[in-house]
Amino acid sequence: MAPKAAPKAAPKVAAKESPKEAATIAAKPAAKPAPAETVLVIQGLVKRFGDTIAVAGIDLAVEAGSFYGIVGPNGAGKTTTLSMVTGLLRPDAGKVLVHGVDVWRDPVAAKRNMGVLPDRLRLFDRLTGAQLLFYSGTLRGLNEETVRTRTADLATAFGFEDALGRLVADYSAGMSKKIALAAAMIHSPRLLVLDEPFESVDPVSAANVTQILRTYVDAGGTVVVSSHSMDLIQRICDHVAVVVHGAILDSGTMADVRKGKSLEDRFVELAGGRTSVEGMSWLNSFSD
Amino acid sequence: MVEQLLRLKLRLLGNAFRRSPWRIVGLVIGLASGLGMALFVVVGLVGLRFESAAIASRGVEVFGALLVLGFVIIPLVFGVDDVLDPRKFSLYGIPTSRLATSLAVAALISIPAVAMAIIGLAQIVTWARNPLAVILAIIGAPVIVATCLLCSRVSISVAASLLSSRRSRDSAGLLGFAALAGFVVVFVLIYRTDWLQNGAQVLSASANVAAWSPFGAVWAAPADAAQGHIGLALLRELIALVFLGLLWLAWRTLVKVMLVTQPQSSEGRNYRGLGLFRVARVSPASVIAERSFTYWIRDARYHASLIVIPVIPFLLMVPFLIIGVPTQVLALLPVPIMALFLGWLVHNDTAYDNTAIWLHLASGTTGRADRFGRVVPPLVVGVPLLVVAAILSAAVYGSFGILPALLGVGLGVLFTGLGLSSVGSARFPYPAVRPGDSPFAAPQSVGTASSLIQSLSFIVTIILASPTLLFAALALFQHGHWAWLSLLSGLVLGSLFLWLGITWGGRIFDRRSPEILSASVRN
Repeated sequence: MAPKAAPKAAPKVAAKESPKEAATIAAKPAAKPAPAETVLVIQGLVKRFGDTIAVAGIDLAVEAGSFYGIVGPNGAGKTTTLSMVTGLLRPDAGKVLVHGVDVWRDPVAAKRNMGVLPDRLRLFDRLTGAQLLFYSGTLRGLNEETVRTRTADLATAFGFEDALGRLVADYSAGMSKKIALAAAMIHSPRLLVLDEPFESVDPVSAANVTQILRTYVDAGGTVVVSSHSMDLIQRICDHVAVVVHGAILDSGTMADVRKGKSLEDRFVELAGGRTSVEGMSWLNSFSD
Repeated sequence: MVEQLLRLKLRLLGNAFRRSPWRIVGLVIGLASGLGMALFVVVGLVGLRFESAAIASRGVEVFGALLVLGFVIIPLVFGVDDVLDPRKFSLYGIPTSRLATSLAVAALISIPAVAMAIIGLAQIVTWARNPLAVILAIIGAPVIVATCLLCSRVSISVAASLLSSRRSRDSAGLLGFAALAGFVVVFVLIYRTDWLQNGAQVLSASANVAAWSPFGAVWAAPADAAQGHIGLALLRELIALVFLGLLWLAWRTLVKVMLVTQPQSSEGRNYRGLGLFRVARVSPASVIAERSFTYWIRDARYHASLIVIPVIPFLLMVPFLIIGVPTQVLALLPVPIMALFLGWLVHNDTAYDNTAIWLHLASGTTGRADRFGRVVPPLVVGVPLLVVAAILSAAVYGSFGILPALLGVGLGVLFTGLGLSSVGSARFPYPAVRPGDSPFAAPQSVGTASSLIQSLSFIVTIILASPTLLFAALALFQHGHWAWLSLLSGLVLGSLFLWLGITWGGRIFDRRSPEILSASVRN
């Protein structure tokens, strides 16, 4: 399964045809497409687990070249939604289109255009960092030479050159996150779906990662990222969707959603989650 | 505190019933088999009431000591997922003695505890011969239960703390190997005993050792009293009580130590280059094969299986040797048995990846490539192993005319088994030991579903390979072309089933991969 070079809007060059292009990772050699194509369409997505409804009918459209943030409290259904978008969890109802291809009808074609970082799933951690990147790249159909140059580039960009030879099982949480992130973008996909990419990543690495993602978006790539850090999302994203109880309360450009407030205040206003702290006075009289 | 933990244990048990129907079936069968075994022992113990005290004492002492010893050894070798691990309570600030007592009492709510309680009561019947024997047996019953439970608590905790770091868990395969080597030694000893002539002597010698050992003393005390050795009886009761006291101290100390010990993390060694990934031309199927092989080399769970393969044929020979089957005939056993196990080894391979399998989903890997990659390591290991084993077997058998049949059976069974495993691991993955856990630790939710799948994959493999087996059997008795026919049938049928298995299993994987991932998330 070689990567098919069949871009409709963005003239992306497939890896196999010009491996040299890998020199600047995640940066596509193309200019922004003139009319922004909708690269990800989510329609009426529903998922139930027994009696609980995790995702209650989500609709979302993400245009190419946007940096889309998904925010929501714990258990809002962010991970469930992103798992269904990336083909990891079968939805009960609804449709997901990536670059016009239905993820659940034609998964092989749809997944070719996606890079995925799932939250809280294991990696093949008995491989070394270098082996894991090689494995991810070749499963995506890259050739050996391309994988090698990209591995080296990613290692420099993410700062794990020294750790490439160690088993992923021995990595810290932040390191594992970084290697998984690198594995998600090694095949230079059209769309990156990242679930909590900055969790337990140190601030310096997070800044590097943000920089890499921004360059990628500027070149026409699309990033969908979930987080519960409002500050971070407000800082790096240009679009945002607020998910609470499995439904989208508001979505659009960052400015439209914020309505002049900080994202955090607007979020609390939408989610209505701030409870009165009265009646907790016992916490201030310490027991021994 | 005791009451709370008893409730917690009951609640955990109750919740297990609320999960999946398979688990309920598993629990019920576990309960039934535990109680069934206990009942079997009870019948034996009651039956011994009608034998002479001397004969009854030997049986009870040896068997009783083995039972108690089982509570020490089984958790060490196989590992048990400890629901009430003391470390889980480290943040609550419970005084050590109280926690140790409560955890020990909570262990009463388990199938082995109930079974031992029944057995403890039954041995009172065996010794209902004179007042002192009855009194000692009545005291013995709770001591037996307490000794068994504390033995298993201590053993589980020692195993858990020894195996807390990744590296030591990885070397646990060696521990398993030592245990298996021990079995082989015992097997040789059993084999060399002439049971008809010396059986009684061996039994009474072992009874003598067992009775003085702390594991058997509690069983021996009423037996001595029944035979009128009052001093001896009291001495052995004392040994049993002192042992129980020591176990309690050991348990309390372990709880104390475990509460303040954090699992250590290791830096790990540095590997250069890409290792096995350099071997073949790059394609999804080949890298999956190389990844799979890397796991066979690095992952303790695979080591454990690999170590078992060469040992199993010899273990299975034991009963045949005892009933006097000649070595020449037994020489034919290892090849088919090893082939059967090698093919069976990967029948749950998908579950071994745990949730890491998401990468195959996200990258749109085809089911065929996934299936193919997983059968490469057993083929690469298995084919040379079976060829060598077949040649050795034929040599011990004393005729190389049988060699084609042995090869046909070995390779045929291996290929067929791998084909079946390719389908089974896509359609019926069941919870496996998680990556990084002790290879001998059984996942908590392991139940009947898994044992059903395990035995079915054996049986179906044998059925599918039956033509080859039939030709091989004919070759044994009629010589001539049957051996070659067996080789032909083994290779042709085996390859066919392997191809079918990979294709069909691949289709199942393509269709069901999200469900496979969901199942592994629940594990």
